[in-house]
Amino acid sequence: MKRGLMAAMTRLFVFQGSMNHERLQGLGMAVAIEPLLRDLNGGRGGEAYRHAMGRAAGFFNTHPYLAGLAVGSIAKAEHEGVSSQQIDRLRAALKGPLGSLGDRIVWAGVLPAAAAIGLIVATRAHPFVAAATFLLLFNAVHVALRVWGLLAGWRTGLRVAEALRHPVLQAGLVASGPLAAVAIGFAIPVVAAWLTADFGEAAKWGTAGVAVATAIATRWLTPTFGAARLGILVLVVTLVLGWVW
Amino acid sequence: MEFTTMGGLMVWGTLVGLDLATLAQVMIARPIVAGVVAGWIVGDAQSGLIVGAILELFAMEVLPFGAARYPDYGLGAVAAAATAAGAPDVFGIGIAVAVGLVIAYVGEMSIQFVRQRTTVDIQRHRDVIDSGDVRVIYRLHRRGILRDFGRAASLTAGGLILAVVVRATIPGTLTLRGAVVLSAVAIGIGLGTTFVSGVRVTRDARHGWIWLVSGLIAGTVWAVR
Repeated sequence: MKRGLMAAMTRLFVFQGSMNHERLQGLGMAVAIEPLLRDLNGGRGGEAYRHAMGRAAGFFNTHPYLAGLAVGSIAKAEHEGVSSQQIDRLRAALKGPLGSLGDRIVWAGVLPAAAAIGLIVATRAHPFVAAATFLLLFNAVHVALRVWGLLAGWRTGLRVAEALRHPVLQAGLVASGPLAAVAIGFAIPVVAAWLTADFGEAAKWGTAGVAVATAIATRWLTPTFGAARLGILVLVVTLVLGWVW
Repeated sequence: MEFTTMGGLMVWGTLVGLDLATLAQVMIARPIVAGVVAGWIVGDAQSGLIVGAILELFAMEVLPFGAARYPDYGLGAVAAAATAAGAPDVFGIGIAVAVGLVIAYVGEMSIQFVRQRTTVDIQRHRDVIDSGDVRVIYRLHRRGILRDFGRAASLTAGGLILAVVVRATIPGTLTLRGAVVLSAVAIGIGLGTTFVSGVRVTRDARHGWIWLVSGLIAGTVWAVR
């Protein structure tokens, strides 16, 4: 089974390869879990294997880095001969909590924190040091979550809730938000000073004014418009004004 | 731009595009990484870092919850680095960021297109998938990855063409004042976006506002010292 776990781990890195609007990550789930199902009763051509694969390919959506926890626990439940109804309930029960946990720890915590630290390093160090700092900080957590998730899921099976109560995970849940907030707060003035170092006073104040206007616009006036669209619109208008001016 | 440089950027851009969601997600798709490496390929890692850092400020808005839509800032950073490379001081920054944002936005739409095509493909094979046919499941999964590969490669090519056209036409038409204003606007929007992202992050954190404000004060002290 060690080889099966290794294969499943590798495949988790393409978990979202066939992301779609009908089953979301369903096919990715099936591809990742397949090596762990090969030695079910009857082997690869057996009925248990085919039924398990069919179930695995159904609708599924969770955080990609914690998907291994679902893959491991569902595969273990299939090996333990748990009924299909119970496995369906397990799948349904895991999607939300894993998604919410991953979103809060990774997307709203570790990712913005690592990016902000990378930006701070960029102001003082060689470009590659900044990029490497970000990648190392982020992927230390990312890869650890993937490996731990799969192994913990495989170990616990239906008792996967025990794994979700792991103290490190709970500590991450509490600490990641404040860490991201303080890192982003620290990065804003440091990066602003670095990027505007060659500007005159008027341009520096202008930058600050645009930043305040953007914050007001994106937070309260047009929160769904998005920074990219706002940026394109304002930069094109500025470019045209620059030509006319 | 030399052929080998273009080739290097094509390979890098395609990897960056795939990393966004399909392959690995080790975050080489973040602009701070994508921009630095693209800048290094064209011989100007520092410009790549600067435009990458500005686009990173924009990318802070992205909280890719569930199947949310979001711009492909990594591919934008590759195009922006190709635009900014070698430009004197602030001349290239604002224009390069604009190029990066356009590619990022097109990238957002192209992801939806790819997912739609994969959905249709899967719907055609619904019964076979539900019966657990592993060969069909593998084939459909591979096709999904290949579609995203095509998306990333073609968007990289589009970004590089846009970069070449913009480098050849726009900088000569701008005054120094115009270039500075454009750069200031790009940086300002990025900073404002990052602040709002900080506010959003504080929503779930206990005493989040205190952490954000503490960071702002410490950062200001650090920046002015």
